[in-house]
Amino acid sequence: MPRAIRGILVECEPSIKSIIINIDRQNHDYIIEDLDETHLVIKENMLVKLKIKIEDMLKDSYQVVPLKDDVTDEEDLI
Amino acid sequence: VVDQIRLWQLENERMATTGGFLFKDFESDAEYQALSGYADEIGVLVWKSDLKRMFFASKHEQLRDYLKSRKKIEA
Repeated sequence: MPRAIRGILVECEPSIKSIIINIDRQNHDYIIEDLDETHLVIKENMLVKLKIKIEDMLKDSYQVVPLKDDVTDEEDLI
Repeated sequence: VVDQIRLWQLENERMATTGGFLFKDFESDAEYQALSGYADEIGVLVWKSDLKRMFFASKHEQLRDYLKSRKKIEA
């Protein structure tokens, strides 16, 4: 008999998929099955947590750190 | 508010999600073809791979019943 596993099918671009795989790598508690380049199945109860994590990672990669401000702070201390 | 907009963008532009069931571990190709074909027929088939003999369906009740009746006929 085949098995039917409850989950969420996620369809996304490969770049987002690789982020998901990286997040899952730590504890393997998100992905049920890696299907193909643009599809995977994840645990139903982990979807919200996963979305927040993806957002955090996207935010980090886009953030520009203002280096000049740091230098100014140091100068002020001296 | 900014976070909500970001989530909304992710949801709509970069990621689509569907709740349902992944069907796998079929005993034979015939069994896989029959059930995935039926899922397509009743409009619950979302994704499939003939190579992996797996498919994703948005509902499972009718598929379960279909599989049971198929087993009965075979037995």
